[in-house]
Amino acid sequence: MKRLLQAMLVLGLAASPANAAELTVITAGDQNMVDYINEYLAPLFEEQNPGNTVRAVGTGPGDAGSQKILERFEAQKKAGAEKWDTDVAVVHEKFAGPMIEGGYLEAYRDRIATGKMVTRANADMALGAKVTGYVMPMFNSQTAIAYNPALVSNPPKSYEALAAWAKEHPKQFGYNGIKGGASGVSFVMGWIYAFGDDADKLMNGPFDKAETAKWDSAFASLGEFTQNATLTPGNAGTLDLLSRGEIAMGPVWVDMFYSWQANGQLPPDFKLFLPAPGMPGQPMHYVIPANAPNKELAEKFVELATSPKVQAEGIVKRFNWYPGIDAEHVKAELDEATWNKLFVDITPEDLAKYGKPFPIAPYNNAILEAYERQATN
Amino acid sequence: MSTAAIPETNAPGFRLDLWWIPRAIVLGLIAFAIFGPLTNLLLWTVAEKWYFPHTLPLEYGFSYWGRVFSPRGNAMESLTNSILVASLTVVVSLALAIPAGYALARLRLPFRAAILFAFLIPQAFPNLPVYVNIARLFYEIGLNGTIAGVVLVHATHGLVYAVWIATAAFAAVDAELEQAARSIGAGALRAFREVTLPLAAPGLLASAIFVFLESLDEFTGSYFVGAPDVNMLPLLLYTAGAGGNYQVASITALLLLIPSVGFMLVVERFLKSDVLSKVGH
Amino acid sequence: MPKRLIGLVLVLPALAVILLLFIVPLAASVVGAFEEKNSYGLGNFTKAFELYRSDVMFTVMIVSLSTVLIGLFSIAIGGYLTLGENPRAVAILRWLYRWPMFIPFIVVGQVLRTFLAKNGLMNNMLVGAGIITPLQAASFLDWRGIVIAFVWKQTPFVTLLVAGAMASVDRGTIEAARNLGASRLRILLEILVPQVTTTLMVGLVLSFVTMMSVLSVPLMINAQSPTMITADIAFRINAYGDYGVANALGLISLAVTACVAWFYLRHSMKERA
Repeated sequence: MKRLLQAMLVLGLAASPANAAELTVITAGDQNMVDYINEYLAPLFEEQNPGNTVRAVGTGPGDAGSQKILERFEAQKKAGAEKWDTDVAVVHEKFAGPMIEGGYLEAYRDRIATGKMVTRANADMALGAKVTGYVMPMFNSQTAIAYNPALVSNPPKSYEALAAWAKEHPKQFGYNGIKGGASGVSFVMGWIYAFGDDADKLMNGPFDKAETAKWDSAFASLGEFTQNATLTPGNAGTLDLLSRGEIAMGPVWVDMFYSWQANGQLPPDFKLFLPAPGMPGQPMHYVIPANAPNKELAEKFVELATSPKVQAEGIVKRFNWYPGIDAEHVKAELDEATWNKLFVDITPEDLAKYGKPFPIAPYNNAILEAYERQATN
Repeated sequence: MSTAAIPETNAPGFRLDLWWIPRAIVLGLIAFAIFGPLTNLLLWTVAEKWYFPHTLPLEYGFSYWGRVFSPRGNAMESLTNSILVASLTVVVSLALAIPAGYALARLRLPFRAAILFAFLIPQAFPNLPVYVNIARLFYEIGLNGTIAGVVLVHATHGLVYAVWIATAAFAAVDAELEQAARSIGAGALRAFREVTLPLAAPGLLASAIFVFLESLDEFTGSYFVGAPDVNMLPLLLYTAGAGGNYQVASITALLLLIPSVGFMLVVERFLKSDVLSKVGH
Repeated sequence: MPKRLIGLVLVLPALAVILLLFIVPLAASVVGAFEEKNSYGLGNFTKAFELYRSDVMFTVMIVSLSTVLIGLFSIAIGGYLTLGENPRAVAILRWLYRWPMFIPFIVVGQVLRTFLAKNGLMNNMLVGAGIITPLQAASFLDWRGIVIAFVWKQTPFVTLLVAGAMASVDRGTIEAARNLGASRLRILLEILVPQVTTTLMVGLVLSFVTMMSVLSVPLMINAQSPTMITADIAFRINAYGDYGVANALGLISLAVTACVAWFYLRHSMKERA
């Protein structure tokens, strides 16, 4: 079959050879991730490493984007390719574990200078999977509740108050369920943290099947809550309905919220808050595939991308994202005012108190499936 | 003024004028249904700021065009690739579909229904779970990152349109015409080329448009088989569209309109001259 | 060479491409649908039905309704293009109807989301024109939004095929009927439509299949449960990495299309006999 296909190829069309002299960066996430690499990181890297070029490919936002990168690695591994077509990938936290399990990744963190600048727990554990050495966080993202100050002057500060508020204001709270992206998923996880049994166990394990039976009342109240809420189409859909004044409040990704504001798709006076007892956030990680064609260059690239200067200039100043490496290294590179812009709506104390990780993978899946069974049917 | 004009028109003309009222209403509704959403698209390509409660954008500008066309963004290269791949896909699909369609329409084939159904499968089975396997196959045979690979992937999706429509087109041509040509001494190929093919041409060209559009809009195959070596415009469109970056998605969609409409016009020109050329015979 | 063999030789290249490049990779997915932890069975299908039964029904109903509407609109537009007596109106319509065809599905999703929303461009325009009051403005972003998106995008596709087929119907018959005093509606329904049935059905089957496999429209327009099968497949894969249930859903979707295709193929077989 192989031969036949090759023959067909020769008969039909000339193959254009792959150009391997470039560093290929594949990134999940929104268009602004691709732009960030193309317009900021790549020129900087090329300047420091003359002769080399960087090209960026985007795979789309959300889990779907990271899943496509995972599948790309899986396909190349199964095909037995010796040199893969990716040097660096940027993936959501959730996919780091499965990628390591599949044997697709290189452990490189100890070899780069910035490796020691990350001490946050989510750089070692990703949803219960040990990822030490394999990942460097690009930035940390957080979900929060965005609201329209014209419609809500005094937002509820906790999940309980939120539930009461939604009851008084039917259809004014909007979220995107669990199938339209992670901001809705995050809201649901936060709900279970608030009304389930033992949030710490969900975040840190160990997995215990008996625990999954303790969510019935939480899901019952969530089902009732959802009756009073507006379901929005996707992460972007929540922002869209917010911007149109159709809903007054909804869970969003903080980074996405800011980029919508920067794009002029959201009024500048909209605000964010983090309800108690907290909502999950997650980092985006830089990973290097085990069979990357230009490994040394790839490590250099990640080293640059996670250096305090770039984290300060690119991540914090340009995008208002929370830095990936430890804050103390980044803060030193910035003036006070720029640094504080990160915390206009959500204070560092709130973030420390209410910024949670997602539940470990088995709980994560169990909650999602329970939601499918109980909250929507 | 108008009274002066009316006596000039004859009676049926006057009647037609009255008919313009329902006509205008219906055409107006259709225009609203079609151009309403498209206006939305056009506005977003030049909107710098647009949110409720403003019916129209607050600020207009071309800064997002700058982003799409930034030198590192590869928009032009992607557009060229997309056009090249779409054109080649049309050629490959039609070259495969014309003989197949003819056979399926005219010749007695075993398992005809099964064969027709086989062409439907790539479109009928949602592709998401299959692409890992397809990508793996293409890596194995070294077609990844090649134009040829992308063309073949697009052709598997385009063939359903090409084959099904070609079959219908050939079936609609009266078989007796071909037999008549054969009986006055034309060979099988000549009879096909000069009688059947021209008569089926409108259908075939319509299928060419669909194959072209399908290829131009295809994302998953383009990503798995094409990227990062062969970048296609839908990659940009998909990332921007799915993330809700309305401006970039709208501009990209507008860019894709150019080859689509262009191809359509070329095909129409073909059609017209072809139809006209038959009038004399 | 016997005729059957010639036929097979003509079909073979196209068939080979489909078989090698799609059906062989698909085989792994089909097998995957029946794989359970350590054995084979119907577990994935049971789970798919248990969780997504209403979504399957919803999908079939949405797509069927859209197909019917697309058929009606394309006959109406194609009929007017063929029988319309005012050349200017025909020209305007011909120029009008095709535009949505060129808009990719993902952009259709985006454009209609911002157009059909409660405070979207459509309602804003209608309110601005004084046709409705702001209180009457309603959102169409539910199943109606999906149907509107499908009909909007696919009608030109079928119309293009149908209008082409109608144009090649013998003008003599139409003129004769017209001279006998038949109304245009009767000519459309009794002469034109029967003659273009095959083309119409091919167009509709292809539309049906296309709509069954579109992911972006349900994701971007309809957030409610139930949703369409493709959204569930994406969710199974992206959220759980669960290819088993995803493939089972894929097979269910394939089975639905197979029914529709079978319906058409049986019809076309009768026609040939």
